[in-house]
Amino acid sequence: MARESNLTAGEGRLGSERPPVAWVRRIGRAGLAVTRHIGRAGVLFGATMLALLHPRDHVRETFRQAKAIGIDSLPLVLLVATLSGSILAQQSGYQFTDLPLWIVGNAVAAGMLTELAPLLSAIIMAGRVGAGIGAELGTMKVTDQLDALRTLGRDPVGELIMPRVVAGAIMMIPIVILANIAGIWSGWITGMAMLDMSTHDYVYGVRNYYHSAALIFSLVKGVFFGITITFIGCYVGLQAEGGAAGVGRTARNTVVAIIVALMVLDVVLAPLYKAVG
Amino acid sequence: MIQIRGLRKNLNDKWVLDGLDLDIHEGMSLVIMGPSGTGKSVLLKHIVGLFDPDEGELLVEGMSVPKANGRQIREIRSQISYVFQNAALFDSLTAGQNIQLGLTPDECRKYDAHLDPRVIEAVEHVNLDSDVLRLLPAELSGGMQKRVAIARAIVGRQKYILYDEPTTGLDPVNANVINRLIARLQGEIGATSVIVTHDVESAFYLGDRIVLMFDGRVQAQGTPTELRESPDPIVQEFLHPKLT
Repeated sequence: MARESNLTAGEGRLGSERPPVAWVRRIGRAGLAVTRHIGRAGVLFGATMLALLHPRDHVRETFRQAKAIGIDSLPLVLLVATLSGSILAQQSGYQFTDLPLWIVGNAVAAGMLTELAPLLSAIIMAGRVGAGIGAELGTMKVTDQLDALRTLGRDPVGELIMPRVVAGAIMMIPIVILANIAGIWSGWITGMAMLDMSTHDYVYGVRNYYHSAALIFSLVKGVFFGITITFIGCYVGLQAEGGAAGVGRTARNTVVAIIVALMVLDVVLAPLYKAVG
Repeated sequence: MIQIRGLRKNLNDKWVLDGLDLDIHEGMSLVIMGPSGTGKSVLLKHIVGLFDPDEGELLVEGMSVPKANGRQIREIRSQISYVFQNAALFDSLTAGQNIQLGLTPDECRKYDAHLDPRVIEAVEHVNLDSDVLRLLPAELSGGMQKRVAIARAIVGRQKYILYDEPTTGLDPVNANVINRLIARLQGEIGATSVIVTHDVESAFYLGDRIVLMFDGRVQAQGTPTELRESPDPIVQEFLHPKLT
């Protein structure tokens, strides 16, 4: 009986709260949580930048991470870049029927350099590298390895985060360059095989679009994306709690957070292209 | 010496430590016993500065841990090593590299982990073959992982060694091996040991002095004999639990 009356009382309280009040409260809580995360992430990012002042201690780990983040991801990035270049060539060939065929080279170069090479590479890296970093650091957190590192007088930011962020930023440069090459190359092959296009037309189209600012923009985006992927992977990993289930949640949250951040960053960086282009 | 006065810590709306006072003198082997959830491991984490207390003071060699800045906390930690309940070895490093982490970064740079004389000496101290140094933690048994964790704790020759439930998760044979190892190291190294356990037999085997914690406070403390003869019903219930 007592339990029943408690439930009734509880329902009464919930029921008495008008929907706008409940929504405002929920929005307020979500806002506070986001603000708290931004604050903590800001402090962690500051600590990561400070750790850059002592690079000598972390050179070996940075190289190890560069291999894991960059070289090991390359086959998948190149595969997706090749396919996206081919799709871009086919679609532009099919859509721009009233325009000369060299426009295909132009569209592939523009699409790859400004968007697809950096963004698709980053999305692949989010799944492969970001989730991996989140799960790895999450596991280290829930199995006391991070605490062990602290008790051994080591700084987890310098030992774990800084090498990953630096490796992510550096390795995105060759990855984006190679993704651009793979995409433009596959666009050329597709244009010749499926659109009856000559090499001369394709190269003319690519050169018609290409300017060094576009390549620089592509690489700058890649570097920002590399930092975003690795840093968010580390940050979310450090928030892990609660054993294997917690690590699973961390990996999922890492990918979601990175992809949202990448899309936001892509929108924010777009005006930069207009400025430099 | 480690001095703890009026230490209080609230976790998840519960006072895990509730006004704890304790002195840990140099060279002693102090065992902290008590039921699960009484704040034994939380106390160890306060000593090494992994937790900040809500109230109270904790001094290591006269330095306040809660008030220590970054440099001071590194200095405090350089005198303390910690053996975690689940060994907490780094998965991506070999046993040798894990042990070498117990040395300073400058000392680590002198030798490859597997050839470092201090690492080899530490691994021999814990009765492991030096071949183990090249293996990853996943390739070691639970008992061997614990011994590697102890080797990591002794390699830097710190003044204090904190053991958090060192025999948890081990079968009785391996638990005995670890207990004998801790007792032998206490004699050989002479470090001050603080051992958290809820295993009464281990506590009486290892401790010069035993502390029984209950509800976040020190319920009783003394030599093993004094504790055995304590009239306190909580002490007697913990030492001689009845199933009915």
